[in-house]
Amino acid sequence: MPTDNRSRTSGSALALILDAAGGQFLRLLALLWEGLSHKIGRIGEVILLLLRILKRLPWFFMNPSLTLEQFIRIGVSSLPLIIVISFFIGAVSAVQAEYQFRGFVPSNYLGTAVCKLVIIESGPVLTALVLAGRVGSAIAAQIGTMKEKEELDAMTVLDLDPLRYLALPRLLAGIFVFPLLVIISDFLSIVGGWIITTLVLKVTTATYVFGLRFLFQPYDVLTSMIKAMVFGGIVVLMGYYHGLNAGPGAKGVGQASMKSVVASCMLILIVDFLIVYIAY
Amino acid sequence: MNNDHLIELRHLQKSFGPQKVLRDVVLEIRKGETMVIIGTSGGGKSVILKHCIGLLQPDDGEVVVDGKVISSKNKIDVKTIRKRMGMLFQGAALFDSMNVGENIKFAVREHEKQHSEADLDRIVAETLHMINLNPDFRFKMPSELSGGMKKRLGLARAIALKPEILLYDEPTTGLDPITSDVINDLIIDMQVKLGATNIVVTHDMVSAYKIADRIAMLLDGRIIFVGTPEETRATSNPYVQQFINGQRKLLAEAD
Ligand SMILES: Nc1ncnc2c1ncn2[C@@H]1O[C@H](COP(=O)(O)OP(=O)(O)OP(=O)(O)O)[C@@H](O)[C@H]1O
Ligand SMILES: [Mg+2]
Repeated sequence: MPTDNRSRTSGSALALILDAAGGQFLRLLALLWEGLSHKIGRIGEVILLLLRILKRLPWFFMNPSLTLEQFIRIGVSSLPLIIVISFFIGAVSAVQAEYQFRGFVPSNYLGTAVCKLVIIESGPVLTALVLAGRVGSAIAAQIGTMKEKEELDAMTVLDLDPLRYLALPRLLAGIFVFPLLVIISDFLSIVGGWIITTLVLKVTTATYVFGLRFLFQPYDVLTSMIKAMVFGGIVVLMGYYHGLNAGPGAKGVGQASMKSVVASCMLILIVDFLIVYIAY
Repeated sequence: MNNDHLIELRHLQKSFGPQKVLRDVVLEIRKGETMVIIGTSGGGKSVILKHCIGLLQPDDGEVVVDGKVISSKNKIDVKTIRKRMGMLFQGAALFDSMNVGENIKFAVREHEKQHSEADLDRIVAETLHMINLNPDFRFKMPSELSGGMKKRLGLARAIALKPEILLYDEPTTGLDPITSDVINDLIIDMQVKLGATNIVVTHDMVSAYKIADRIAMLLDGRIIFVGTPEETRATSNPYVQQFINGQRKLLAEAD
């Protein structure tokens, strides 16, 4: 009898453990599913928002000045940051390339390394990541504040469609100003690399330029511009979306701003991978 | 349906999460009248106004404006009706990134393309005059205005398009008695001279008695009383008496 008893206890203990583990596992699955379906719902909302903005595309021609104003505002506000960051990215990649190449690869190819890295990846991606923090968060904060202070409602009541007057100009400006900023960034990075290679690494300008032109592909520039446009759209869309969904008060606006940056950064890296995967 | 009624709120119910704000709001507003809605703070008066102009949709019930159900999913109806309506928000809701003049001009410029910039400037000057604001203020930014001035600018922006139906959320709150009276006269003028229908939410009983054709009282998510100013003064309804006399306790409960 005692044996029986013991086996029964151990059996039920095992069952209990399994049960508990199963319960935990199921709960974990449920939690994951909940999180996932929530995320999927949000993606759906974002896509819907994008479509609703794009539906207003014809209105661009009614007020092109609104888009121009945003274009200039985003461009000008981002430039100082882009200048400093791009210059140093060029410098760092030159120094790193020299260190990695030392003894294996002739310094002829320093320019090649800098140029490839900058045009293919660091130019568009780092510019976009930085602008997610500079531009996307500002849009989220502005739209969030306008929502909080009922300015968006006031626009709706006056039949001034916020998507037409606020979202569309920002989206178009983002899509078209990012490539321009990336070109500036690429150029400055290459200049940064050049200054370091000639002054510090004692490589002649001619060698650096030879490296730049070697393996240079216009196709790389094309994909880089496409990336820039997509990233510009992502940053603005995330900023606008999170602004619209901001919680109440200063805290809500701050959080919206933060969420827009996190979401933009993640999307930028994911989409970067997808574009590279398709293009190469 | 009675054709006299320009706006009908039919058994509106509205909750925010667990909080039931409107339980069963029934109210009819006649064409060309000034309806004043009174009620305790946080009772849902602003929520009612937002239903009237389609900014909020009821959980249950209907909002009918000029025979059209605007609380339905049909966006077209809401948009056409909205063109005939104007609203002063409780917090003014000015466009912070635009100066005073632009705040007034923006919608007029977009909707009435026939105006030249000079026309628009004239409209701004006239509207500022109507609300007793100095025209020199048109270059100031909203952040540079006092609370009462913001309120008046919000009103200016709403009336610049000359809507037929005007919703005012506490138009005189925070104004001195003299400016309040200017606003009262303006609301009356909108009705008498332009034939507008006014719905005014206010706590200011002096203003309510002066402008109202009828006064409605909201309590616990229901309209519990509707009557002319005389009827309101004379009513034996204890809740209305309590409110208009500003007593903390119901008369019945006192001593
Ligand atoms: N968008 C919203 N989301 C959640 N709750 C809301 C929303 N709008 C209003 N409420 C809630 O509804 C209630 C009624 O609000 P409302 O602003 O209509 O009050 P009110 O009668 O206008 O008060 P007051 O005289 O202070 O302006 C409040 O408790 C408020 O918290
Ligand atoms: Mg209110």
